[in-house]
Amino acid sequence: MRTYKVESREKTFAVTVEPKHRRHYRVRVKDEILECVCESSDDISTWTIRREGTRTHARAWSPSSNRVEISIGGLPFVFTVTPMRIEDIKAVQPVSAEGLGGIHAIMPGRITSILVGLGEEVLEGTPLIILEAMKMQNEIVSHKSGRVISVKVREGDTVKKGDLLVQIR
Amino acid sequence: MVFALSIKLLVANRGEIALRIIRTCRKLGITTALTCSDADQNSLPVRYADETIPLSGVMPSETYLNVDKIIDSAKESQCDGIHPGYGFLSEDASFAKACEENGLVFVGPSRQSIERLENKLTARETMQEAGIPIIPGSDGPLKGDDDAVEIASKIGFPVILKAAYGGGGRGMRIARTEEEIRRFYRLTRMEALSSFGKGEMYVEKQLASPRHIEIQGLAEKGGRVVILGERECSIQRRHQKLLEEAPSIGISDAMRSDLCEATKKGLIFSEYTNAGTVEFLVEKSGKFYFLEVNKRVQVEHLVTELTTGIDIIEEQLAIAFESHMNLSQNEVKVRGWAINCRINAEDPRKDFTPSPGQVIHYHAPAGPGIRVDSALYSGYTVPEYYDSLIVKLAAYGRSRKDSIRRMRGALNELEIIGIPTTIPLHQAIMTEEQFNAGDFDTTYLDHLEPKLYQTLARLEESAAALAAASRTVNMPLRKAQMRKSNWRHFAMHRQEW
Repeated sequence: MRTYKVESREKTFAVTVEPKHRRHYRVRVKDEILECVCESSDDISTWTIRREGTRTHARAWSPSSNRVEISIGGLPFVFTVTPMRIEDIKAVQPVSAEGLGGIHAIMPGRITSILVGLGEEVLEGTPLIILEAMKMQNEIVSHKSGRVISVKVREGDTVKKGDLLVQIR
Repeated sequence: MVFALSIKLLVANRGEIALRIIRTCRKLGITTALTCSDADQNSLPVRYADETIPLSGVMPSETYLNVDKIIDSAKESQCDGIHPGYGFLSEDASFAKACEENGLVFVGPSRQSIERLENKLTARETMQEAGIPIIPGSDGPLKGDDDAVEIASKIGFPVILKAAYGGGGRGMRIARTEEEIRRFYRLTRMEALSSFGKGEMYVEKQLASPRHIEIQGLAEKGGRVVILGERECSIQRRHQKLLEEAPSIGISDAMRSDLCEATKKGLIFSEYTNAGTVEFLVEKSGKFYFLEVNKRVQVEHLVTELTTGIDIIEEQLAIAFESHMNLSQNEVKVRGWAINCRINAEDPRKDFTPSPGQVIHYHAPAGPGIRVDSALYSGYTVPEYYDSLIVKLAAYGRSRKDSIRRMRGALNELEIIGIPTTIPLHQAIMTEEQFNAGDFDTTYLDHLEPKLYQTLARLEESAAALAAASRTVNMPLRKAQMRKSNWRHFAMHRQEW
């Protein structure tokens, strides 16, 4: 039986893995038991997970030694997996982005309008920019109160996900 | 159906609906040409169409919404007619007119009905004239936000601001205060201008918790109308339908026949032809109101096809090219139950933010009663410029319960790897009590949050468990290598096209 610390950006799980048969594992997470069966471990490993009578298909691959990416139920997940003793596991607090003043593009798209000017005072929740993506006009709002210290984009610009749009201090 | 003449059809759309139309054309022996933007050159419908006409550019305004380019494409490829699909130019009066002027058959409603139902506002007036109850609201287009505020104070808050030319759930917002009216007026108008090219707005009272029921009709010249039954579309998020059913568990037989009668009356009054849907809001009291007419094939048409066995695209083509449909009312039998889940490229963990990107691997479910309408394939990149709908997953069963059970299984089988999708949302709905009991209305999603949160948390637990288990198996390959190998596989297929 092995124990792992499995971390995502927000959460940490303590997971124990107990091999049952060849490529068949009994896994305990948060007091729940799951059966994970590895169907193939080619390019990308293919799994069936049995949990409370439901069978779900999933895939796993490892981009680097301790990183594991999982695709299950139509969502991707990224974890850092490190072997350890169970008594060593302590909750890791997620890093807060609240203190930083950068407003980033939450999706790729086109800037259709900029609603604030340089030096303007804004409150938390003030709409800053309208970002058009997939036919929707998305209001990008400020996550903090402060003064606009820079506007990094112009109307009509195309932005990638994660691009810095506005800085607030 | 056998067409008297050999026909060539231009499919002026993209994604799953383009593929859907091409499939019926193949069945009927109709030659197809497809318009395609720069972003869609590697799409599945391109591979299925007999001919492709590239539209330079990627933005809808320079491609699928550009009337001149589409008409030129049809003429250049010597097509007899154009099927516009849904969205884009499907309900654009100037486009239908341009088709007529250029001697092209428009697979859609007649000129007269397009004029009478040109936009949501004119449709409202026409249906009122036909004697169908309408929701209290504006009499004509709003002159500005002051006008909206004045009407709202008369009919009472909350109200819903709508773009007259809006569609597919876009271009409308609920306002609860005067301040919101002013703010949303501007935002919705802007959205309408950029998406639909026209900024006309109106306002209606927001009903408390109605069901959204629509009736599918087929009509031919001379006023013959065949009704294919109702669809239940109450499950929506921000006026975007998420899931549709046929029939509806929420209406009595008496209500059903009232709605069908109203639909028939409305379609005949507006001299409608081709496939059309009349949408209604139905209150708990049994009172119903006209909502809008959808003058196109709808996204959710497949649930009606499943319960009636009728190919709606085929009927559209028959009405457009041979001016009569292939069936009569007494041939229409609604049997069993069908549910459709719209799977979108949106992240349910991030307030449904669009999540375009590359699908590394795609596997569609199958089995009894399962139908998948999608243009996805392994290696396909979902472009950021268009709608986020990527898969329509439908399940048909003998009963509603049977259909739900098949849908649960199919959702578990469906694999879309590489981008976040709304699959967990549908899994949450399929296991939620009130949905299973049939007790829901258009406010359903507001109450689903705890259940969705629980579903997402459980999914993350399963993922974490698997992450640990997979560490104990040899997994030497890196993600980059895997991507490359998939692309090589894809490239191999492309050479065979």
